[in-house]
Amino acid sequence: MSYPGELAHIYKYQCENAAYNPGRRWGKFKGGINMRLNRPNLAGGGLGKVVLVGYPNVGKSVVFNRLTGLYVLVSNYPGTTVEVARGRGKFKELVLEVIDTPGLYSLLPSTVEEKVARRLLLEEKADVVVHVADACNIERMLPLTLQLLEAGMPLVLLVNMIDEAKRRGLKIRCDLLSQRLQIPVIPAIAISNWGLGKLRKKVAELVHTATA
Amino acid sequence: MSTQPPLELPYPKWLTARVAEIARYIQGRYSFSRRCIALLALAGDEDALQLLQQREHPTNWESIRAIVNETRRSCPQPVTYIMAASRQKAAAALLDGVLQTHRPQPETWLDVLGRLTMQPPAGIPILILVLYFALYRFVGVLGAGTLVDYIEGTIFQTYLNPWFTDLVCQLVPWPLIQDLLVHEYGIITLGLRYAIAIILPIVGCFFLAFSLIEDSGYLPRLALLTDRAFKFLGLSGRAIIPFTLGLGCTTVGTLVTRTLETARERVIATMLLALAIPCSAQLGLILSLLSGNRTALIIWAGFVLLVFVLVGSLLARILPGEGPLFYLEVPPLRIPQLENVLTKTITRMQWYFFEVVPLFVLASVVIWLGTHTGLFKSVAARSEFLAVCLGLPAEVGAVFLLGFFRRDYGAAGLYDLIAQGLLSTRQLTVAAVALTLFVPCLAQFAVMVKEHGFYTAFAMAAFTVLCAFSAGVCLNRVLILLGLV
Repeated sequence: MSYPGELAHIYKYQCENAAYNPGRRWGKFKGGINMRLNRPNLAGGGLGKVVLVGYPNVGKSVVFNRLTGLYVLVSNYPGTTVEVARGRGKFKELVLEVIDTPGLYSLLPSTVEEKVARRLLLEEKADVVVHVADACNIERMLPLTLQLLEAGMPLVLLVNMIDEAKRRGLKIRCDLLSQRLQIPVIPAIAISNWGLGKLRKKVAELVHTATA
Repeated sequence: MSTQPPLELPYPKWLTARVAEIARYIQGRYSFSRRCIALLALAGDEDALQLLQQREHPTNWESIRAIVNETRRSCPQPVTYIMAASRQKAAAALLDGVLQTHRPQPETWLDVLGRLTMQPPAGIPILILVLYFALYRFVGVLGAGTLVDYIEGTIFQTYLNPWFTDLVCQLVPWPLIQDLLVHEYGIITLGLRYAIAIILPIVGCFFLAFSLIEDSGYLPRLALLTDRAFKFLGLSGRAIIPFTLGLGCTTVGTLVTRTLETARERVIATMLLALAIPCSAQLGLILSLLSGNRTALIIWAGFVLLVFVLVGSLLARILPGEGPLFYLEVPPLRIPQLENVLTKTITRMQWYFFEVVPLFVLASVVIWLGTHTGLFKSVAARSEFLAVCLGLPAEVGAVFLLGFFRRDYGAAGLYDLIAQGLLSTRQLTVAAVALTLFVPCLAQFAVMVKEHGFYTAFAMAAFTVLCAFSAGVCLNRVLILLGLV
């Protein structure tokens, strides 16, 4: 897959897991939760689902690793998350299934990978969809947010790499954006785990209200 | 499942009307809101249309299709364009007041350094510094020197090995089984000692250094810097990853060739890794062997580099297919995060331990079998003529045989020969070159089979042997002719 030139300065994370260790047999020394907690804990039986979507290169895989504690080798190096990674993560007292999707530019897909991502959204019946967006290019990310809202997705917007935006002189008032969109908008720096506690809390709340 | 009513976007009135019209005909249940499905259908999305055809009543489907076709015909611009424009407008309105711009923070020293690493005048000296400190000082001197001396020399040789040997000799009366477990080639005294005491510290140090460099964001810069050079070998800058990892352990490097994009690149990289990239264990031993003689060291390094470039460019010409296109997004240089670095290092070491250590044990078993069945002796006797062609003493044949099991076993064998004073400097140089180029070790071969299938892997290994041998013969002749060493 090639990237349009406009994305040239955006982060790109790669899941080397495919290259490294397909069965993730030895890769989960932090991820005990993925082995231990196998029980369904939602009313309908089955695990609640959190789907991560967003443009390529916004740090979805980092967020995925942080949420699941699963070690999918993420490197500061270009490539594509070709595989769909699934893991379990703890959101306050809930254990939810977390799904990482290939990059998605729009709900109207043009590449195979985008189609995979959209089919996941269509078929997985997510309890919460987390749109991971790059703070530096928030104005290019928002149309996807709007599309996801239009589709009626239970959405949380995660404004990632807020530190990088700040360095470039951008300030984003997440509270105001949250008010306007009527969804939780959370600033984060996924790579240093900042803001993800709040994400976990919001996701847990959303799942509760959805199943209550 | 949705928690809030779907959002209304400011589309043109006629479009909203059409969407509402279509939505009225949609009866089925979908994961997306009806309005969204209607919009997708209007945009001509095949999946959405197919879904509607499958799930809606035929009469409804006909009406939907009629509206979609009619809209697409009458609309002067593509419908998708109008939708995208409306969403852009909505996004801009939403961000009004949300997005505030300040003066960008002044460039930090990290930004300046990050830029410098990509420009050859400063980038190449920086690369040399990084290689010197990370590879030579940290992995070579600290890992292969201090740590190995302590773990191997003190812990294993002084305490563990004698203790295990005594224990096994007391428990097992048969010398044959004793040999399998302890003594010269035993699983415990050789296989585990090698894995834990010699290779693990070296590879561990390497992985730590590599993770630090990786986490800092230096690798993409290095890839950009080296891209042009790699183009010549039919590779892209991306190949810097398997090659640098290969300097730690070529087996790991071979596995990581998966990150390269085309099959052609993967074959070239795997071949070069098998041929001309020494692993850290081998590198450490060869460096210490040749350290007494600077000319020999330079000849060795220059010749291996020459083979690397020659074979690479040859493969790039021979193998069919296009050279790779290279897109790279360069992240900012960051101070590495201790937690990330440790996680990566430990995960890689974990992987190494569980995937590679069994192969060491296997190598011990094979050597045990070979020694006791007399197979080794006969093969070594036959390979003696090879050694003679290279102008080397006959004993080197056995060294090469060992080199297949572990690249560094071979180098260690050379060490013994030098200690006995059997090699001249010319012979040592030739032997070191041939051994560096010689077949990949058993573990690497196993991974090559896994990645490329048995026949390709076998062909690569055969080519490696041929190439190592002929390169050795050439070098020997040239050295005799020039009388350099």
